[in-house]
Amino acid sequence: MIEVSDLRKEFILSRQQRKELNTKDTKAVAVDGINFKCQPGRVFSLLGPNGAGKTTTLRMLSTIFKPTSGTINIAGIDAIADPQEARRKIGFLTGTTGLYARLTPDEVIKYFADLYEVSKSDFEERKDRLYTLLDMHDFKGKRIGKLSTGMKQKVSICRTMIHDPEVVVFDEPTSGLDVITAENIIKLIRDCKNDGKTVIFSSHIMSEVDLLCDDMAIIHKGKMLFDGTMDEFKGQMQAENLTAEFIRIVNASSQSKEAQL
Amino acid sequence: MIFTIFKKELKDTLRDKRTLIMMLVIPVLIFPIILNVFVGISASFSEEAAKKTIKIGIVGNEDNYVVKHMEELPDEMGKKEITFYKDTLELIKAIELDSIQIGMYFVSDFKKYMAEKTPAPVSIYFNATDMGIKDRAELYMSTIEDIATQERYVAMNLKESELRPIETSYNNIASGKEMIGKLAGGILPYIFIAFGFIGCMYPAIDLFTGEKERGTIETLLTTPVLRWQILFGKMGVVVLSGLLAASCALLGLFISIEVLDIVDNEELLNIIHGILNFKFIIMLYALLIPLTVFFAGVMIPIAVYAKSFKEAQSIITPLNIVMVLPAMVGFFPGIELDGTTALIPVVNVVLATKELIAGTLDMGLLALSFAVMIGLAVVAVIVSYKRFDKETNIII
Repeated sequence: MIEVSDLRKEFILSRQQRKELNTKDTKAVAVDGINFKCQPGRVFSLLGPNGAGKTTTLRMLSTIFKPTSGTINIAGIDAIADPQEARRKIGFLTGTTGLYARLTPDEVIKYFADLYEVSKSDFEERKDRLYTLLDMHDFKGKRIGKLSTGMKQKVSICRTMIHDPEVVVFDEPTSGLDVITAENIIKLIRDCKNDGKTVIFSSHIMSEVDLLCDDMAIIHKGKMLFDGTMDEFKGQMQAENLTAEFIRIVNASSQSKEAQL
Repeated sequence: MIFTIFKKELKDTLRDKRTLIMMLVIPVLIFPIILNVFVGISASFSEEAAKKTIKIGIVGNEDNYVVKHMEELPDEMGKKEITFYKDTLELIKAIELDSIQIGMYFVSDFKKYMAEKTPAPVSIYFNATDMGIKDRAELYMSTIEDIATQERYVAMNLKESELRPIETSYNNIASGKEMIGKLAGGILPYIFIAFGFIGCMYPAIDLFTGEKERGTIETLLTTPVLRWQILFGKMGVVVLSGLLAASCALLGLFISIEVLDIVDNEELLNIIHGILNFKFIIMLYALLIPLTVFFAGVMIPIAVYAKSFKEAQSIITPLNIVMVLPAMVGFFPGIELDGTTALIPVVNVVLATKELIAGTLDMGLLALSFAVMIGLAVVAVIVSYKRFDKETNIII
């Protein structure tokens, strides 16, 4: 379970950043008071165009960033008061995550299992299961730098799941991947859902969202524009398809903001 | 947890060829190369200088006292050929053309001066850029002067001892170890410091900026490990790399002396053996550890701030000059460890090592130097932690 309420994140702008953004504001609001809830056994999708605040939100959920205000509850733990404990419950995977090229998959998986303090028996059992599931046995001893993108993605998945997290956070997990490699991620998300885990993933690809998610939220310029189930979204659609509806909602929000100004 | 991170980072670092070359290979080779070149050049130079046949040009009579005796000097004092010239103009021109190396001008009434037992003037011409020539001329002239002096004592029926009212003997109480320590001891800590810095540099950039650039830091930060634990695990590898590089330089020195037998002077060898003992190595490491922590603490905030390997390298490389240049103070024989120099970081380590080699180290000043370096290392670690804890610095 993930529960987020009144979540806000401001970044202090340096002089250089103010110059680059052509603004006199000393702060930039990346996330502006959002609320949502992700249930176990369901897939929650956080949708938004580039720069909407998706990654910042997911980084706050995974405790990399500290929120300016608001609360985050991860599997019953206050992630702001006890980030270390919350991290034990989270598996985090992004499309841009790199791996240690000079290590082997075996070494990387062992390293992360140690960081999560996974017991030896659990580690052996999970490693074997994940290696078989992902067909990793053949390349487990090769240096990661010499593996293909698909193989690397499998190592990333295995690394994310080795501590059997209750909550899995995916930040644009298929970005930059070919269809075959992306399929591994889609399968992983489905498996997590079937195992009763709480899954949240960010994306701007509507087809992927339609394929996987049960609940969704649309975020734009840090504000929440929609929060509900996929069925509710489809039920109130005014455009002819999901992508067109997404664009319509985002554009309507931008126009109303411009009108206010 | 710190050890888990340390272990992984060490493994990762030891698999990086660039780091390995800078951290292990070059430091091991540096002393054998320096000593080989130094010993080789100085040996061949003195051998060559001794073997070289020197051409001497003379302006004066052929039966001149000096010329006669010079021809009788044994070849062991250096071979020579004598040619006569008309005047000093020709003589100087010949030196300029390197047809001769030494020119000697004897006044026409040289014989008269000798007969009257007054100092007979001789002018010697040479080119000072031609190394060893003046020494050869001085050797010939002092030998001939001694012969002439002895002849005059006999002719004047004088005893040499009566003409020397005071016999002064100068006794150097400094041991060979102290001489080497004070005069050349600065080179050793300089090389250790330089390699300590270079040894820290690549791992610092790789483990902090590199992790940011490769996008692995984000994953690491989502694990239940505290940031200070990550910092300490990584910093441990940076410090160890610096110490390893310095140790490899020390190993190279041992190999040069014990395996390759580059130094063949028995007296010098005994002095070096006396310096490189267990106590020296322990004390050296006691000084090098806080210094390396300080280096790591200076580099890490830069590596954390930089967005790319190139950016980090472009900031840290000039820092090398600022940090390692003060170590050159050790090359100047007059500068010693005192209440002031013990307060200057890096310089205090160099001077303390110098005193350590010379065997004249004051324990109070060593403690002061050590305290200064520990204090700076602590400040550097705190600054690193503040930087590493800043969320906007660790994510690109």
